[in-house]
Amino acid sequence: MVKYIDLTDPLTQEVTTYAIIENAEGYESMTKVEYDQRQAEQSTPIVIDETKTK
Amino acid sequence: MATSPNYGWLEPDNTDLVKNGALSIRTLGNAIDTTMATMTPKSTYTAKGSIAAATAASTPANLAVGNNGETLVADSSTSTGLSYQANWAAAKNKIINGDYRINQRGFSSVTANDTYTFDRWRTLSGGTVTYAFTPQTFTPGTAPVAGYEGSTFLQCAISAATSSYIGISQRIEDVRTFANQSIVVSFWAKAASGTPSVDVVVNQDFGSGGSSSVNTIGTKQAISTSWTRYSFKITVPSISGKTIGTSSFTNVYLLFSDAIIGSGVGDQTGTFQIWGFQAETGTVATAFQTATGTLQGELAACQRYYWRQTVSTNQPLAPTGGCATAAIADSALYFPVTMRLNPSSIEVSNVGFYNWGNGSIYESGTITSAAATLYAINLRYTHGSNVFTTGQSGALIGRAASSYIGINAEL
Repeated sequence: MVKYIDLTDPLTQEVTTYAIIENAEGYESMTKVEYDQRQAEQSTPIVIDETKTK
Repeated sequence: MATSPNYGWLEPDNTDLVKNGALSIRTLGNAIDTTMATMTPKSTYTAKGSIAAATAASTPANLAVGNNGETLVADSSTSTGLSYQANWAAAKNKIINGDYRINQRGFSSVTANDTYTFDRWRTLSGGTVTYAFTPQTFTPGTAPVAGYEGSTFLQCAISAATSSYIGISQRIEDVRTFANQSIVVSFWAKAASGTPSVDVVVNQDFGSGGSSSVNTIGTKQAISTSWTRYSFKITVPSISGKTIGTSSFTNVYLLFSDAIIGSGVGDQTGTFQIWGFQAETGTVATAFQTATGTLQGELAACQRYYWRQTVSTNQPLAPTGGCATAAIADSALYFPVTMRLNPSSIEVSNVGFYNWGNGSIYESGTITSAAATLYAINLRYTHGSNVFTTGQSGALIGRAASSYIGINAEL
């Protein structure tokens, strides 16, 4: 399960959205931007533009 | 009669009769001819560095000298059974953790695609396939290489496969690795039953923003039910004209079943075991070595990509921290080795914040990366309520028997 939380940096007041991906052991934490990027990469099939047999 | 001092050829005595001279000369000549026929002709040596090597019994041939720095290795595919190879004594193996000694994640079973097993080794699957990767332990003395006592090996058990592929892969940093070179990928393998085939694929991934990836597929080989070393020769294409993006890599796959990628292995079920994985330049698999040659070296090499600290209850994980606000506590953590890039994510299991100022331990918050570099990370513990006193010190600690924080900079 993925939860999103907004955290405010106490020094800069900048707000960053984090993705918290829960699993059986605990959770994985990364920014939402990085999470979306990883999801896009994992859903992309292997691209083969030139296959050679040796 | 007299005899010559080295080869014992028969020679006439000083007092022999002249009338017997013709016979004596002929006898001596035949003896010399017989001896000379057993010798390597001088013409065999054609140039500086030439050595004589046999192509068959009593059949000498010239073996030309190799390039500077190369060493001579046995190579049954050549006429003389020998070839010169660029065989560096150390660091020839570009595969990290090829002997499966490092398992920072403590993996015990993996059944999903794109998931790490032993350090640096990730699963690769697609289509309808059911499988489980598990770590296995060698009984002492049963590892397949004399003189190298292996500890653990990797097992893949495939229970169902339809129009699918399943393998194990290692992403070697930088697509320039092995580009435009002949390489040999070698490993020991064993099947639980039958003679299933396996194949090796080298996938050149040019990274984010780079050219499309290129697959080079080896020639599949059947494996047996006893530990045997298999080697796959692959000519990795040049990267001339390609665009290299960020985080490019050379991905070496070992396929246990494949009806998709084009290896010809086909959909297969069964149990496969592998150990001693090596990828090196050249055309012959040389003696197995890990990438670094030492256990600590392998651990450090793995930690460039992923680092996990696992501790017990109340043991420190990030021992230098403090309360930044009433709801936020930051803790610094320095990495044991420089990471590949600023870590992209963290993994957390059963970690709490021990506020030394008020003596309380908090477990309900969330830990995120507030800032990270190649060398250190600022872990931010965010509590749902205002419970801290700004400025008080504290630390992130384990709150269960196997608590951990994992730092991820994998390819």
